[in-house]
Amino acid sequence: MTVPAQMDNIKAEAITIEERSPFQVVMMRFVKHRLAMVSMVVMIVIFLITILAPYITSYEVDELNVNNYFLPFGSVDQDTGRVHYFGTDNIGRDYFSRLIYAGRISLTVALLSVLISETIGILVGAVSGFYGGWIDSVLMRFVEFMLTIPTLPLLLIISSMLLRNENLIPIPEAVLKSVGSIMLLGPKDARNAILIVIVLAGFGWLSSAQLMRGTILSLREQTFVEASRSLGATDVWIIFKHMIPNAMAPIIVDASLGLAGFVVAEAALAFLGFGIQDPIPTWGNMLSATQQYMFDKPWLPLVPGLPIFICSLAFNYIGDGLRDALDPRLKL
Amino acid sequence: MTAYLIRRVLQSILVVFISAVASYVLLSFAPGGPLSGLRQIQQQGRFKITEEDIARIRASFELDLNLPVRFSRWLIGVPRGPLTIGGKEYFGDVVVGCRKPIEAEITNSRGVQEIIVVGCKEEVLLKDIVGRRTSRGILFGDFGLSWRLLRDRPVSDLIESRIPKTLQLIGLETLLSLIIGIPLGIYSAVKQYSRFDYVFTTLAFMGSAMPSFFFGLLFILIFSILPKGAGLPYIPAGLSESVRNYTIPWIGDVIAGSAKDRTLHLMLPVAVLTILNIAGWSRFIRASMLDVLRQDYVRTARAKGLSQNVVIMKHALRNALIPFITIVVFTIPGLFGGAIITESIFAWPGMGRLYILALGDYDYPVAMALFFILSVLTVIATLLRDILYTIADPRIRLH
Repeated sequence: MTVPAQMDNIKAEAITIEERSPFQVVMMRFVKHRLAMVSMVVMIVIFLITILAPYITSYEVDELNVNNYFLPFGSVDQDTGRVHYFGTDNIGRDYFSRLIYAGRISLTVALLSVLISETIGILVGAVSGFYGGWIDSVLMRFVEFMLTIPTLPLLLIISSMLLRNENLIPIPEAVLKSVGSIMLLGPKDARNAILIVIVLAGFGWLSSAQLMRGTILSLREQTFVEASRSLGATDVWIIFKHMIPNAMAPIIVDASLGLAGFVVAEAALAFLGFGIQDPIPTWGNMLSATQQYMFDKPWLPLVPGLPIFICSLAFNYIGDGLRDALDPRLKL
Repeated sequence: MTAYLIRRVLQSILVVFISAVASYVLLSFAPGGPLSGLRQIQQQGRFKITEEDIARIRASFELDLNLPVRFSRWLIGVPRGPLTIGGKEYFGDVVVGCRKPIEAEITNSRGVQEIIVVGCKEEVLLKDIVGRRTSRGILFGDFGLSWRLLRDRPVSDLIESRIPKTLQLIGLETLLSLIIGIPLGIYSAVKQYSRFDYVFTTLAFMGSAMPSFFFGLLFILIFSILPKGAGLPYIPAGLSESVRNYTIPWIGDVIAGSAKDRTLHLMLPVAVLTILNIAGWSRFIRASMLDVLRQDYVRTARAKGLSQNVVIMKHALRNALIPFITIVVFTIPGLFGGAIITESIFAWPGMGRLYILALGDYDYPVAMALFFILSVLTVIATLLRDILYTIADPRIRLH
C-alpha cells in the first residue's frame, strides 16, 4: 500500500518546479547582469539624493556669498557656520547645493523627454504599423523626412529661437506649476526647462516610432491578434491591450538608452549656449559655465562633469542589462 | 530601379526644399537679428537715428521685404523687379514689402513690453526693388553676403577659408576610426562574452557616456595643461596652428605655421573625435555582426567544415556590411559640416565652429547657407545609402 503513496510524492515533486511569472524571470536575468545591478543601485542613490535636495543642502541655489569666490572644498562660512562642501563657484554660490539641485533638474528633463518621446513614438509607431496603407506611408515619410535633416544644427536653430522668444509656444499654467514643483523652480524658470524638454522630445520620438512600427508589423500577423479580432475586439482594444504590451521590451530598452542620450544632449545644448540658461542650475550649464577654469581650477568643471558621465554610463548599462533580460532568445 | 531612382530624387528635392523653408522661417522669426543693436542705440539716445536711416538699414538687409519674397530671392534670386515682356512691365505695383512699418508698444499677457508691427506707412512695390543688390540665389551657387562675421563679404569666402581645416580634421579622424573601429567591432562580436569583449564594451560605453565636450576638456587638461606645467612634453591645444614660435621639451623648437606645428595641433581634436567615433561605430558593427552570427547560414557554413576565418570573412562580414555602409555614407555630410562641439572646444577654425558663431551672432545668411548645404549632403547620403544597400544585399529590393 505504501508504493502508490510514494509515487504520488514523486509526481508532486516533479510538478512543483517553482513556477515563475515572466516578470520574475526578467528580474532574475537582470540581477545576473552584475554591472546593470550596480548601475541600478547607483541611480537609485542619485535619485534619492536629488529628491531629498532641500534637506541635504544648506544653501539656496542662487544664494550669493559675496566676495567668497572660488572657495576650496569644505570651507566654512564665517557668519553662519555652514559648510561649502564643494566650495563656491566663480560668483560665490555654494557649489554642492547647486550640483544637487542641478541633478534634480537635469534628471527631470531627461525623464520627461524620455516619457514624452516614447509616448509619441509608441502611439505613432503603433498606429502606423497597425493600419499600414496610406497612414503608414504618411507617418513614416514624415519620420524619415525629420531624420534626413541634420539634427544638431536644426536643434540649435529651434532652441535659439525658442529661448529668445519664450512666448512662442503657449504652455498651460498648470503644467508650468507642476513641473516647476518637481524641479523646485518658479513658473518662469520652469518654462525655460520645459522648452528644452519639448526640443529634445521633438527629435527623440522619431527613432522610437520606427522601432515600435517594426515590432508591431511582426505582431500584427500573430494568431492571438486574429483570435482577438474574431472575438469582436475593436482596433483600439487590440492596439492598447495586445500590441503595445507585447512590444514593450524593445521600447523599455530604448527608453533607458534614451535617458543616457538625453542627459548628454541637454548638457551639449547647454555647452553650446542654447540650453537651460544660467541662474537655473543644470549639470550641463554648470559645466559649460566653469569650463574656462578647467586649467587653473579643474575641479570646477569636473564636479558637474562626473555625474553626467556616471548617469549616462549607468543608464547605458541598465539598458544593456534589460536588453539581455528581455530577450526571449537568450536562455539562462 | 530607374523609376525608383527618379522618384527618390524628386522626393529628395522636396525634402531639401521643405527643410530650407522651415529653417528660413524659423530663423526669420527668431528675435534679435541685425537690427537689435540699432534699437538699443536709439533708446540710449546717443545718436540721432532718423526713420529714414532705419528704413535704409532695413533695406540693406532686405528686412523690408515680405518673407516669401525674401525667401525666393535667397533661393533662386527672383524677383528682381517687374516682369518685362516685350518692353512692357507687368506686376510693377504689386506690394512686396514694407519700408516703414508702424510699430506699437504693447504689454502682453505676461506683463512684458513688446514691440509689434501693426501697419505700414510706406510700402515697397515690385518696381522699387529694381537695381537692388541681390544674390543670384543659393541654388545657383551664390550664398549671398554675410551680415556680421565678415560684414558684406560673400558667405562663400567664409566657407572657402574654413573648409580645408574641417576636411583635414574630419577626414583624418574618419579614416582612423574606420581602420580601428571596424576590426574592433568584429573581433568583439566573434569573441562575445570573452574578457576582451567585456573590457571593450565597458570602454565603448564610457566613450559614448562621455559628452564630447567634457572629453575634449579632459584631454586638454591631461595632455596639454598638466604636462606643460610640469615641464614635460605637451601637445598644444587650441586653434589649428600657433601664432608664435614655441619650444616643447624633448621635441624642441616649433616654428609657428610649420608642418610640425600644424600636426601637433591636429593631434588632440583628432584623438578625441576618433575615440568617440570608435566607441559608437564598433558597437554598431558588433551588434549587427552578432545578429548575423546567429543566423542559420552561418551555422551551415560552420557545419560543412569551413574554417572560422572563412566563415567570418566571407559569410558573416558581407551580411554585416549594411551598418558599415550607413556609417561610411553619413561621413559625407560630416566632412562638410565638421564637428560642432569638438571644433568649439579646440577653437578649430572649421565649419562646425562657423555654424555656432553664425547662430550666436545673428549672421543668418551664413547659418542658412551651411544648413542648406548640409541638408543637401545629408539627403544625398541617404539616397546613396539605400542604393548601396541593394548592392551589398540583393535581398533588399527597392520599390
